Amino acid sequence: MRVLVVEDHEVLARTLGTGLRREGLAVDVVLDGGDALDRVAVTRYDVVVLDRDVPGVHGDEVCRRLAAGRSTTRVLMLTAAGTVRDRVAGLDLGADDYLAKPFDFAELVARVRALGRRAGVPVPPVLECGDLTLDPGRRTAFRGGRPLALTPKELAVLECLLARGGAVVSAEELLERVWDESANPFTHTVKTTIGRLRAKLGEPSPIETVREGGYRVAVP
Amino acid sequence: MRRRLRTRLALLYGGVFFATGTMLLALVFAAFWSGGYTQVAPVGQEGHAVAPDPAAPRGVDVAAVVLPSLVGLLGTGAVAALLGWVIGGRALRPLRAMTATAQAISADSLHSRIGLDSPYQEFAELGATLDDLFGRLDAAFRSQRDFVANASHELRTPLTVERALLQVALADPDADAGTLRAACAEVLALGAAQERLIDALLTLAGSDQGLDRRQPLDLAGIVAGAVEARRDDAARRGVRIGADLAAASADGDPHLVESLVANLLDNAIRHNVPGGRVDVVTTGTGVALRNTGAVIPPGDVDRLFEPFQRLRRGRAGRPEGHGLGLAIVRAIAAAHGATVTARAPASGGLDVEVVFPAPVVGRTG
Repeated sequence: MRVLVVEDHEVLARTLGTGLRREGLAVDVVLDGGDALDRVAVTRYDVVVLDRDVPGVHGDEVCRRLAAGRSTTRVLMLTAAGTVRDRVAGLDLGADDYLAKPFDFAELVARVRALGRRAGVPVPPVLECGDLTLDPGRRTAFRGGRPLALTPKELAVLECLLARGGAVVSAEELLERVWDESANPFTHTVKTTIGRLRAKLGEPSPIETVREGGYRVAVP
Repeated sequence: MRRRLRTRLALLYGGVFFATGTMLLALVFAAFWSGGYTQVAPVGQEGHAVAPDPAAPRGVDVAAVVLPSLVGLLGTGAVAALLGWVIGGRALRPLRAMTATAQAISADSLHSRIGLDSPYQEFAELGATLDDLFGRLDAAFRSQRDFVANASHELRTPLTVERALLQVALADPDADAGTLRAACAEVLALGAAQERLIDALLTLAGSDQGLDRRQPLDLAGIVAGAVEARRDDAARRGVRIGADLAAASADGDPHLVESLVANLLDNAIRHNVPGGRVDVVTTGTGVALRNTGAVIPPGDVDRLFEPFQRLRRGRAGRPEGHGLGLAIVRAIAAAHGATVTARAPASGGLDVEVVFPAPVVGRTG
């Protein structure tokens, strides 16, 4: 899941980036609203965590433009102003969720995941396909009841494929969903990760390669 | 219990009418009795006029005149009172409308106005005066609300960062002493920043409450001390401080005046450029600062003296300070009756001059 954090407090922005990445999300961090709009124009984010009081373009305006663009990106607004009136105003602007500062990091992660499930085609909280089960919240995966020891990237790739329910996902899209810009990856990174994932999943491999297309999970 | 003005007016109308009516009737009756009228003498059967008999009641039967007069007087008095009631009600209607509007206006709806369009000058004036009052209250409430919102924002932000830092650090399964130590150091730094903010807010609140004490102060000495205390900080930022301190004095609270000088200097040093200058001059009862720095649009100078206002927020996160320094300067100056003038030179930076009122000479203590 690709997430953009827009927060002007440098330490907070960095901390949120670190924490969310550790949860297996691909996270980009920007410090002002103008940069946020630039990124959103280039990358399709699943969730934007948006501080309402960012400099440059105000958070409200970023939110309005995202909503006006009819994008599938979900917006989680963060703000120090947490009165009912503020929350209502934020949601009316087009935010999908609202979290008042100070918040619990675990709650932020849960809300980001919940919003991510609703970006694009809705997916259930626990993904299943054949004998494969993946719980993005607990970051665990099982095959036939056997736990799989996957790295965060492998887990994220599998999550992305399972979420499509058998539809083809291109390598470029996997790159966009799973790796953030700090990783500076290439498409062969995807290939290697898929290779390692296949080895860990065992035979018969549930991941199919589609020539000139990408990858998909084999639906039984 | 208070009487209603409308009832008073009705009674007054009725009463005045009754009194004047009684007077009128009394005059008429007095005229009857004093004989100051020409009686049409009853004509005798012989065709002679009969001389008036002083003993006999003069003229017509008194009861026949007085009773209907009294009844008429009471009746018209009552009608007058009734009319007074109606007219009083009509005249006081704008007043009732104003009362209703004023009652509906609360702290949450101070933006509404009476907007009375009365043809009567008195009511129009009253309405305009009340609207003025509501306008001032509205502005005061709004600035208070903004202040609270800003203060809570500034206070919550470090809390949020601290909590996120600690939670993320603790949730890291691979955390070692190094990462945890780094997180702790950042939390401590945030705590120190919070402490400075709370100090600034308390100073601002304290100076708004006016002065507890006034004593003669050596303004030049206070400035000299503050400059010395900041030499290192200024040198670290590559800012040179020049001080031309002639004897200067003022009456005031020593802590508040020290705080004013400290905030002026900190502001001039922080919002400067590397290689820049701060020049401090004291004369008479005033202190003037001139610092180099970014160009401030002339329209923004006043705004900088409002709480939580900064020139701008940089791309690299938050600038130093909370935007309270110049607000504190203004509040302390106001408490001392001192005038603050600020000017932004086109070449950049800010000139600020604070002039205290002349100390009272020959006073003891």
